[in-house]
Formats: sequence, C-alpha cells, structure tokens
Amino acid sequence: MDSDAVGSVFLSREQITKILSETPAGFIKPTDPPSPSLPPFKKLGVLVEIDDIVGDQEKAVKISDKEQSYSCAECRRMLPTAHLLDLHITEQHDFYFAASVDRGDKPMFACFLEECTTKFHTPRQRKDHCIIVHKFPANYRFDQGRDKAKEKRKPKSKTNSMEVDEVPAETRSLPYIKAFSFGHQTHRTFYSRKAQKSGETLDDVQSMKDAINDILD
Amino acid sequence: ILFKLKQMDSVTTPVENILLRSKIRGYARDQRLECRIKAKDALRIGLGQVKEEMAALESLGTKDVTGMAGRIKRRKHATSEDLCRLSLAFLQGSDNINAFAIIPGAIQVLVKELTGPHIQRHIDAVECLCNLSLGEAHVSEKIASLAGSYMVTYLDGKEERLKRSCLWTLANILATCDKAGRILLQMQLVPKLWRLYSEPNGCQADAGFCLYLVATHCRQHVSADDRRYIAQNLHQKKPEDPASEYFMYIVHQLEIVGQDLKLGTKQAECLVHFFEATVSSSVDNLCLIYGVRVMANLVAKGDPKLLGGLAEPQNFVKTLNHLFAKRDSQLNLDLVRLLRNFLHLNLSDSNVILDSLQIYA
Repeated sequence: MDSDAVGSVFLSREQITKILSETPAGFIKPTDPPSPSLPPFKKLGVLVEIDDIVGDQEKAVKISDKEQSYSCAECRRMLPTAHLLDLHITEQHDFYFAASVDRGDKPMFACFLEECTTKFHTPRQRKDHCIIVHKFPANYRFDQGRDKAKEKRKPKSKTNSMEVDEVPAETRSLPYIKAFSFGHQTHRTFYSRKAQKSGETLDDVQSMKDAINDILD
Repeated sequence: ILFKLKQMDSVTTPVENILLRSKIRGYARDQRLECRIKAKDALRIGLGQVKEEMAALESLGTKDVTGMAGRIKRRKHATSEDLCRLSLAFLQGSDNINAFAIIPGAIQVLVKELTGPHIQRHIDAVECLCNLSLGEAHVSEKIASLAGSYMVTYLDGKEERLKRSCLWTLANILATCDKAGRILLQMQLVPKLWRLYSEPNGCQADAGFCLYLVATHCRQHVSADDRRYIAQNLHQKKPEDPASEYFMYIVHQLEIVGQDLKLGTKQAECLVHFFEATVSSSVDNLCLIYGVRVMANLVAKGDPKLLGGLAEPQNFVKTLNHLFAKRDSQLNLDLVRLLRNFLHLNLSDSNVILDSLQIYA
C-alpha cells in the first residue's frame, strides 16, 4: 500500500523521459530564461560625522603615510602599491635596466597595471598604451617615465644663459654635498666619493693596460 | 504648588508647613544654581555657536556647494574640513551633487587631493567621491574617467578604509552607468576585484559585491582576458570565505564554465566543492539555482574527470533527489537540464538512474 502511495507521488521513468525529451541539452547561457529576480541594489554613501567638521580636528587619529604606503629606500619616494614601487626602483635606480633600455633589443617598460603583461620600448609608448587601452588620464600621477618637458627645457636654458666662467669638469661631476652643519655633524647619506674613486681606479687599470700594450708592441 | 500647600494647610500643623516651605525653597535654590552652572558652561565652550554651526551643516544647499567648489578651485586645494563638508552636502540631496558636478574643474581638485602625498587626505577625497557617486549617470561617468584609474590603483594598497571606500564608489558607479562601467573594466578592474575577493582581507565582501554588479550590469564589457583570469584563479576562493553566496552567480553570468574556456581539474574540483557546500547548507534559493546551472554547464563540457565525486551515479542521484525534494519549480527546470547533460555522458545505465530518481509529481 505504502509503496503504491509513494509511487503515485513521484514521477515514473516514462514521465521523466518525456520531460527530458522536451528539455534542451548543452550549456545554459546567462541570457536563457527564466532568470530569477535579483535582490535590489541600494547605493552606498559614507556617513560623515558632524563632529569631524565641528569638533577638534587635532584629536582625530591621523594615519601614518609611511606605514600605509610603499617608500623607496633610495630616494624616499612614496608610492601607493608594491607594483608601482617595483617599477620605480627598476626604472630609476637599476643600472642593469638602464643598460638594457640603451641596448634596446627588447621592450623593458612594464604597464602601470600589474595585471597587464604588455611591455614597451619607451615610457612614451607605455603612456600612450595606458591612455588608449586602459583609459588612464594623460597626467597620471604615478607615471615613472622621465619628464620630457624638463628634458626639453634644459638645452633652451643653455642657449639663453648668461656667459659664465667654465667650471672644471672634475668639480662639475662631484655630487652635491651639504657644506654647512650648524654645529652638528650629520651623516645622512653614504660617502658618495667612493664611486668616483672606483672609477678612477678603473681608469688607472685602463691606462695600465694601454701601457702594457704599448710595451708589448 | 501653592494650591497643594493650601490643601495641605488644612491637614498639617504650622511646624510641618514651615518645614515643607523651607524644603521647597531649598529645591528652588538648587535648581537655580544648576541652571546658572549650565548657562556658564554653555558660554564657556561656545555651545551656542556649535549648535548654530551644526544647524547650518544639516541644511547645506546648492549655494553652499557652489561656494565651496569655487573656494577649493581658487585655492587649487581642499582641506579635510572642505572634503567632509562636501561629503555631507552630497548626502543631503541630488541637487547638491548636480550643482557640484557641473562646475568645471571642481572634481579635478578632489582628484588632486586623492593623489597627493597624504593617506588621510586620500581617504577624505575618496569618501567625498563616494557620496558624489550617489548622483546620476553623467556624474558617475565623470568620476570614472577622472578618478577611476587612481581608485583602481588603490585597490592594491595597504590602507583598508581607503580600499573599502574605493570599492563602495566603484559599486555605485557600476550600478549607475553602463559607459562608466566599461571605462572601469578597461582599467583591469575585474582581475583586481577577483584577487581582493579571494584573498583573505577585510574587503572580500565589498569586492564580491562589486563583481556581482559587474556580472549584473556590465557583463557585455568583460573581456576574454578577464574571464580567463577568473577561470585560472577560481580555486583561490573558499566556500567558507565571506560573500561566497555571490560566487556561483558571478561564475555563471560571466560564462566562466563555457565552451571557449578551458578549466583545469583543480578549478573544476573547486566548483564541485562549492556546489556540495551550497547544497548541504541552508542558503537562499538564488545560490542553489546558479549552482545547479554552473554544474549543468560543467557536465556539458563532457569530461567526467572534471566532476570529481559527482561523477559517481549514486552521489549524483542522491544530490539530485535532495534538491528535487525542495519542490521549487524554477530550480526543477535547471535540475532537469543538469540530469539531461549527465545522461549524455553515459557514465552508467540511464534506466537505473531514472528509476532511482525521486521527482515529485
């Protein structure tokens, strides 16, 4: 009796087969009806507390910029993401990268978007790509490329500049070092003449080589 | 009180009267003293001024907004207070939003603050933009083209409040304007959202909701690369993570399980695991419907290896019977489709499967 009752509740094999024959097979597309009704979306706004405006602003907890952003150890420049910092370090402080760019055999400049894997030969090409493909603004703040305007300005100022005594090449190449200390000796930077010293030794090696070659000849 | 005292005179003795009167005088004196102290305090902290200012802030109009916009434009800079005032004004009506949006160069000042050196100012600026994005489509379009790239960039940052405010703004834009949505998707928003959605952080729910809005409003603008990225990184999302109720909907609407995209075993395993978790938990119907649709598409791919434990006919029939028992007509349609695709695989005798099915008449 019970099994008969249960049998009448459920569909039989024939009935299921009939339903299946009427059902289309294959992939269900997002546009296929019927689509269930979705919960409505309400826009979200940020509630501003009047205390923040009227109250004591000094008391408000300020977020440390250093902790919340990525800063370059070399030039202290702060950047918002690890990818932008990575680009900054390679493009501004990596000599191997500079040499590779000079060689120009492969594209070196990565896109500002980490997810985009395209690389470019010049910062200009990258900028154009970001503007056209990714709809970035033309004056993107975190652009790591060298400032073309500044570079252009340099020779112009040279032509218009006053006639001054020629500074010897040696002193011109010296790095800028603070000459005043207000009674406190501060060593904030590495001793930058070391690099020059190493250059000198390299020159000596070269002259030594030339001399050896002369003797051999 | 006098009336009461007169009434009491009839029943009380003169000594008691004197006592009562002195008590009442004492109370009156204390009350006067208290009022005087309160008035002094109010004067000392400038409460009247604060109250006036509060009233003014609660009723900011288009004139105030235009004035503030003019001021920040002149200075080419907005302080935190300016940004908070503007945020508050935008909350008070769409007229204020429209008044600000039509002023040329006003949004650019907000963008300048958004990209400055201080994180706190970034947060204030993005919160201001978030309230501005409560406006109509043309406002959303302006925000997307001027500040979209920065908001998308900040999604990779460290500061959680900034990320959340960016996500809220992006959600408002995605829900409002199709064109603005397309601009944002060109900025590789989808892979960034998916990463935020699957990695453990405080913004998983907000990122999931943004993806839900992308799948609902901007599905046609999602590129093949974006879909490929999701397909490759499907397995990074866990069913126990926040906002996992959107998972199946996103996967189905963005056609991650389709003819053109290849799925690895790991990714397919994740889908089956998600489906089993959805069936066993008491979630809403929407999750179940989209879960069944995703499974129907996974079966339609024709590779039994992708189905994992579900390829076992016993397991499959058990799951199907559990879902048919819910007697939901909309769900049943998708279940029949799933069954049809499964029978096409010819994993076992169809008649045995059909006989063991319990579909309510």
